[in-house]
Amino acid sequence: MTSSSTPLFAVSAVKWPALAAGALLALSGCSVANSDAAPASGSTLRVVLGQEPPTLEACESNLTSTGVVVRSNVTEPLVERNPQTGELEPLLATEWKATSDTEWTFKLREGVKFQDGTPFNAEAAAFTIDRAVNSKLGCNVEGYVFGDADLKVKAVDDTTLTVTTPEPDPILPLRLSFLEVVPTSTSTTAKVREPVGTGPYKIEAWDAGQKITLSSWDGYWGDKPAYAKAEYQWRSESSVRAAMITSGEADVALGLSPDDNMGELGIDYPNNETVALRLEATKAPLNDIRVRQAINYAIDKEGIVNSLYQGKHKVAAQLVPEGIVGHNPELKGWAFDLDKAKSLVAEAKADGVDTSAQISLVVRSAQFPKITELAQVLQEQLSQAGLNVKLKMLETSQHLTYQVRPFPDDEGAVALMTQHGNQAGDAAFTVDQYMLSTGAQSYFGTPAFDAMIKKADAASGDDRKKAFEDIFAYQNDKVVQFAHISHQTGIIGKSKSVNYTPNSSSGDELRVSEMTPAS
Amino acid sequence: MLIYLRKRIISSALPLVVVIVGVFALARMTGNPASLYLPLNATQQMRDDFTARNGLDKPLLVQMADYFGGVLRLDFGQSLRTGQDAADMALRAFPATLQLAATTMVLAVLLALMVGCWAALKPNGVADRISSFVSMAAASIPDFWLAIVGIWVFAITLGWLPTSGVSGAGAWVLPIATLLLRPFGVLVQIVRGSMVSALSEPYIKLARSRGAGELRVVTHHALRNAAAPALTVAGDLTVGLVNGAVVVETIFGWPGIGKLMIDSILQRDFAVLHSAVLLTAVAIFALNILIDMGYALLDARVRPVTVKA
Amino acid sequence: MKTSLSEAAAGDQLPAVGQLQPLKDRKDGNLSLLRLLLKDRFATVSGLLLVIIGLTALIGPALVGDLATKQNLLFANKAPFSLAYGWEYFLGSDSLGRSMLARLVVASRTTFSVALPAVAVALVIGSLWGVWAGYHRGWRENVSMRIADVIMSFPSLLLAVVVLYVFSPSAGNIVLILALTRIPIYLRTARAESAELQSRTFVDAARTFGAKPNAIIGRHVIPVVLPTLLTLATLEFCYVMLAESSLSFLGIGIQPPDVSWGLMVSQGRQYLQTAWWLSIFPGVAIVLTTIAANVLAAWLRIATDPAQRWRLALPRRRLIARIPVKEAKP
Repeated sequence: MTSSSTPLFAVSAVKWPALAAGALLALSGCSVANSDAAPASGSTLRVVLGQEPPTLEACESNLTSTGVVVRSNVTEPLVERNPQTGELEPLLATEWKATSDTEWTFKLREGVKFQDGTPFNAEAAAFTIDRAVNSKLGCNVEGYVFGDADLKVKAVDDTTLTVTTPEPDPILPLRLSFLEVVPTSTSTTAKVREPVGTGPYKIEAWDAGQKITLSSWDGYWGDKPAYAKAEYQWRSESSVRAAMITSGEADVALGLSPDDNMGELGIDYPNNETVALRLEATKAPLNDIRVRQAINYAIDKEGIVNSLYQGKHKVAAQLVPEGIVGHNPELKGWAFDLDKAKSLVAEAKADGVDTSAQISLVVRSAQFPKITELAQVLQEQLSQAGLNVKLKMLETSQHLTYQVRPFPDDEGAVALMTQHGNQAGDAAFTVDQYMLSTGAQSYFGTPAFDAMIKKADAASGDDRKKAFEDIFAYQNDKVVQFAHISHQTGIIGKSKSVNYTPNSSSGDELRVSEMTPAS
Repeated sequence: MLIYLRKRIISSALPLVVVIVGVFALARMTGNPASLYLPLNATQQMRDDFTARNGLDKPLLVQMADYFGGVLRLDFGQSLRTGQDAADMALRAFPATLQLAATTMVLAVLLALMVGCWAALKPNGVADRISSFVSMAAASIPDFWLAIVGIWVFAITLGWLPTSGVSGAGAWVLPIATLLLRPFGVLVQIVRGSMVSALSEPYIKLARSRGAGELRVVTHHALRNAAAPALTVAGDLTVGLVNGAVVVETIFGWPGIGKLMIDSILQRDFAVLHSAVLLTAVAIFALNILIDMGYALLDARVRPVTVKA
Repeated sequence: MKTSLSEAAAGDQLPAVGQLQPLKDRKDGNLSLLRLLLKDRFATVSGLLLVIIGLTALIGPALVGDLATKQNLLFANKAPFSLAYGWEYFLGSDSLGRSMLARLVVASRTTFSVALPAVAVALVIGSLWGVWAGYHRGWRENVSMRIADVIMSFPSLLLAVVVLYVFSPSAGNIVLILALTRIPIYLRTARAESAELQSRTFVDAARTFGAKPNAIIGRHVIPVVLPTLLTLATLEFCYVMLAESSLSFLGIGIQPPDVSWGLMVSQGRQYLQTAWWLSIFPGVAIVLTTIAANVLAAWLRIATDPAQRWRLALPRRRLIARIPVKEAKP
């Protein structure tokens, strides 16, 4: 079949023999997979997730738990970002270009059908954008990718689509890669739990609470995938997910912890998540840059990465990892220097900063493996620098009140532990939120810094890359709102019977068509 | 009996309303769910829209009136999380928990009766010591820990059972074993205690002196008397199971009401929470009525024996 | 309503009881409680264990000092039962290199300061309320029982989240939740016992002599019901420790940097494959405490009951020989 490292869509023309092989495989597998009691065999891929998707609605597929099932399996976007190269690649659109400052024109693929038999055309693409971005549906992807901006869309002819943005938007195609295309028959007044798409798999059954079954769809325009079915289950304990791989009850398990001890069944992959402390620089003692610097010096990042995460994570110096446009390879993590931290705190104290004021270390319980341990280490290390730190472990909803604006005002300075994942591949998605002085997840900024960010947002190509690199360097030098800790590594459990190499987007978009049975 | 039943059912209606009102008010104290359902960078406008769309901007009393108005029309609202009908979700999840709880309790009661009687035959004897040690230890092991160790031992190391899930009979073993231990441990204590007392009653001596066999004495005479306290405690434990299968359901991926409830609480999915609470409350009330009726029956059967002695 | 638990206890309210017992057993009744305790090996061991655990919770945290919080990332997850690193690491180190022994000691205080007050509060409120309701019967009883129904069908998890959200996740607030949700257990039991007692002769007699209801409840009903309720409370002690642990598992219980045995089991579960001692030791602590408490409670119930006390004084061999028959009967 398609080798797992090459994207399926880019090379569809040369894969006819593989298609035939896949079809044969699928046929031979079907009769076995039909019975429920028999253990699913080679032709069914069994995946175990951390939680049941709340919905499979295409316009919410930026939610990890939804996207991991639906994206590129059931539905497809116009263009897709290759997680390895960071390049945009054609999918339902074959080519695209900016036809003016604010207008993009897309040429669409011909001969593609939806799973309900209706043809895919410019009208459907326009409908999808309208439905997700310009409607009252309240789609999650709308807020996540597009903000308030409404887009004007026009189906010029069957295969030509133009999209007009209110402001120049150099990364519109990237934004559109989050929109999964649905047919015009999709409801515009209600969200649809089981969408119809153009993908290689269609939703066969959803036994609420138990499992979701996808089965391969014969009318798919591209290569037929190796697995005839994909079965999704969910277990919230990572040790149980790991156990299902070990015992052969599942083929792929997401979100394992290093302590699940998977040996060679556990495969590491960079999951694009970065952990950092966000410092509330509007309140004492964090309002003094020396205290914020001291925090950076006081954290033993090497120690944390090596001891807690068995050396799998990487020490971070910025909010985005390698592979994201705008990542600055020059930046090195702050050195661990407790003496320097102490003297910085002492300096600040001498200048009248109330360094004994309490700092609340706000952490979301169970956000990622070993977060409780990490939180306690940080509390200890900051205390050693001479700061008064109180650890607050909170559940998700409560943590969110600290994470996004408006921030609670009734308590002292907050150091919030944040896990930021940039799924989009462009630093704008990070910087706009975390560093603009009005950003939804930003405590503060400076006018000069805001100007830098605005300029970077409008730039394209190498200029854009350079502009964002400068921003990350500037934040570490002059702003210091963040104390970066580590770039994380995810672990996927994979049985020996499956060939698959996870990549940085595997946690958000698990492409079943990239998996093949090992012979 | 029927009059009693009718009275009980009527008098249970008001507490049911109290439960829902209480849950309603408390749930609203846990904050607006907007940030849970909107992207992190949502604007204030989007938050306000969300709040208004879900009626969360109205005063609490109005929200409550709306809800009860809906309930009267059998409209229990929609899940924020899944967009499905909240009552449907609760009704779909409930049988899974009920099956689990019922099987567990039946097994726990049977096992506890056997072990408890065995222990009570010779108070402070070897059997008594062993059974009380084992049952006490059983009742004091954290269930989630036991579940994970169980998976480790029986699913991975030995490979006898599936790790989790609901397919096949094997999948029932670990969840039930996990749930079983505490009720079993507590019931053994209760049964043993009341059997020891019952076996020292005069009517037992009477039965013995009439030449009744030991087995007959235990099963026909003593057990009847000992059953009453066991029944009360078993009832309370069942209520605990219905309400508290959360941990087991979470670990084993059992699609039950406990998991639904904790998810809806953590996700501030109010409509689902109300439906789940309403359903379990009705079940618990019904269970309490059944227990009281069972108690009355048992009492009626037992009383003449005691009085005669 | 009659439970046989109360049956045995009710006996000692009656003057006839002691006299009818065999003479030989009577003089054993004079044995001091302590000597009686020493005769029962299991009860002695349990008692000792509880004293040790109690003392540990009381003064232990002061003794270990900051050992329980001192981290050393290079020294994480060291296996137990080795004196190579000093006595403080005899039980190994946890995932942050802290001494397991010290953490267990500190956790014991939190565990007790949650479990004991939670049980005590629920016991006192639930019992008094239940006895009162059962004695008066009628509407008081009905209303009380419906309130118990309400509390029982109320999701305690929601309470926990509310408390976490509105207040801070302190031990005191966990006590509040656990106490509130366990009141119905005592309420129902006490009600049943008291309802049955209020129709008995000795209560009737007190009533005819013009004693006030509260006086009757205090003097005649509560002493009879108490043994049953105390037994229940020991079982509940175990339950409360476990409930606190389950809350930790669900992420809505005691939160770090506080530490309890339940939290330690919950946090240690992810290391089962790599460092089993992180969850086994606190688990064993819970199990041992529970068993000791229950053994001692069972013994105490017999020892304080004149009608049963002679059993403890018998040589062990005779005890097993045959099922004794109680002669006294009202």
